[in-house]
Amino acid sequence: MADSALKASIFQRLHPRAYLERFVAESVRPDGRPFDAWRDVSVNVGSISTANGSALVRLGETTIVCGVKAEIAEPELDAPEEGFLVPNIDLPALCSPKFKPGPPSDEAQVLSDRLNEVLSSTISLSSLVIHPSKAVWVLYVDATCINYDGNVFDAALIAMVAALRNTTLPKATYNVESGLTTCSRTASSPLKMLKTPVSFSFGVFDATLLADTTAFEEPLLDTTISVVVDENGDLVSVVQLGPGVDTGAADTLSTCISSAKTRRVVLGGQIP
Amino acid sequence: MALDRRRINGPEESFPPVFDSDALQWKLEDARKDRSPDDIRPIFLQPGLISQANGSAYIETAKTKIACAVYGPRQSKNTTYSEMGRLNVEVKFTPFSCVRRRAPMRDAEDRSIAVAIHQALVSSVRLELLPKSTIDIFVTIIESDGLDGCVASGSVAASTALADAGIELLGLVTSCAASVVGKKLWLDPTEEEARLSKGTLVLSCMPALKKITSVWQTGEMKVAEALGCMDACQEKCTEIHSVVAQALLESAKI
Amino acid sequence: MTSYVLPGQPIPLASQWPSASAGRRAYIASLVGIPQQEGPVLSISRVRPRPPAINSVVLGSVTRLSPLQATLSISVVDGVPLPAGEEFTGVIRIAGHRVKIGDSISLGDARSYFVTTARNDLGVVFAVSEAGKTMVPVSWQSMRCPETGRLEKRKCAKPE
Repeated sequence: MADSALKASIFQRLHPRAYLERFVAESVRPDGRPFDAWRDVSVNVGSISTANGSALVRLGETTIVCGVKAEIAEPELDAPEEGFLVPNIDLPALCSPKFKPGPPSDEAQVLSDRLNEVLSSTISLSSLVIHPSKAVWVLYVDATCINYDGNVFDAALIAMVAALRNTTLPKATYNVESGLTTCSRTASSPLKMLKTPVSFSFGVFDATLLADTTAFEEPLLDTTISVVVDENGDLVSVVQLGPGVDTGAADTLSTCISSAKTRRVVLGGQIP
Repeated sequence: MALDRRRINGPEESFPPVFDSDALQWKLEDARKDRSPDDIRPIFLQPGLISQANGSAYIETAKTKIACAVYGPRQSKNTTYSEMGRLNVEVKFTPFSCVRRRAPMRDAEDRSIAVAIHQALVSSVRLELLPKSTIDIFVTIIESDGLDGCVASGSVAASTALADAGIELLGLVTSCAASVVGKKLWLDPTEEEARLSKGTLVLSCMPALKKITSVWQTGEMKVAEALGCMDACQEKCTEIHSVVAQALLESAKI
Repeated sequence: MTSYVLPGQPIPLASQWPSASAGRRAYIASLVGIPQQEGPVLSISRVRPRPPAINSVVLGSVTRLSPLQATLSISVVDGVPLPAGEEFTGVIRIAGHRVKIGDSISLGDARSYFVTTARNDLGVVFAVSEAGKTMVPVSWQSMRCPETGRLEKRKCAKPE
């Protein structure tokens, strides 16, 4: 590392806010992006043979791997014609110095709840029924963060949706007499997905709207906004935490929504 | 099982699918499927992928996929003054890493693999230079195809990550597994092969210094077979060492 | 010597290096890097965060003050910043010298590293006044608030 780069990283370490302020004053971000630019996304599906469906997603340096495991269970008494979709994200101590080994952090719990909310719109639970009241599929959708460089929600949602779209279920038959379900080795079918939601998250720093924030930028934000859009450009979910800002022409939220819709079209082909 | 409020919960109980026919299995008399007995699976090794960590490595040997991150040396917390640094290894399986789902909390962590990797590495790290400090090594097994292979690949990834983190080492550790199947010696067994074997052995060493750091034997084998395994593993460790060296040099030059 | 070495590898030595003929068979590298030779010192440099050692120069911020000592959260060691959340705890004692941000001299006890500011180039480099403004040093033991003009006592670091 050159001496000047080292001095800059010391300044960044000791005075993170002032460091980011100086970049923002020059209309650029520490990683060289304009305020409204997104990091590159890469999606790789089906590489995990022990899962029914899987995806590896990189959003800039942020890396998420997701696997779907299908198991069989009895449905709940009050919902005999519904299967289960169980999404969880793990933020292990491996992915960032922020996390320590142990049970899920608050951040992981909040993320899992939000992912669960969005994913519930993607699959009809009745399509997971093998035999009403007796046997249904349980889809465990587990995502693990391998490298935490910000905007984990967007990356995790892409990974979970791509893994579900990659999932095939073996043909299952419930035998009424024995009460057993058997699956075919040869016949299987892909999961039916209702929609393909993608999330686009923004942060507000000192009245400046930043798209797709990094792990360095995130702790300095006053507001975070996530806009989830499906393949038709329809809104699935909008979450804003913190105050909005006046960006001139439009309010923050509508700026984010139109930016998300534009980006959804660009990303369209990249989600397998 | 008690409800875990920190996670999204599924039904109380669920079971892996039962199939109408067994997966194709081959018998003891058969020859090894895809490779000769003394072949190991090809290794892909990439240091430095985890930018948030002080050092890291990702290793893939056929189906087995393991990520490893090194944090620290960190200040040891809540411990008495110690002249020597500590090496802490934690191994975690992703829930989808094995044929049977590994539920979080219940069986996501594996102490025995962590202990084996710790044993393979500890004598290679110059802990005497790091008083009061702890080096944390976190290993996530993304996909497993044989526990012996996970110990070996995990140790190789961890040693690579330590070197990537700029932690002073006496030498790079490489590691190789072997199994005795019937009367034959098969190197680097897959899960299915390990199940067929009567005993397995994982040898870890520092090829540059011609020193063994750990031998981990399970099941049963004759003394001559164990010695044969060790010889064969040691030879492969030298080959693996050049893979590690190549990966580290390439990433250092960028 | 321009090629990389790896941990466990002997370092190729130039024959004019004093110890090359002193009976020692080889020097073994413990890091990945390019060995460098300056006079009698053979080294492989690394720009990686590391814990404070004796004679390290550290930067940190004061987290707790008592009449006898200041507790410091060390975030830069020998010019290399530590990742966020990976700080080391240091203590400056009044006996060890004047006040505030400085550098490390001793490994200290189980809980913290002992740090001193007792050298001209060590001391406070950044401080905020009572009025909340960044102060400027005016002498080695005082800083001025740009807003109120008041002087506050600080043991300042003399820049190189």
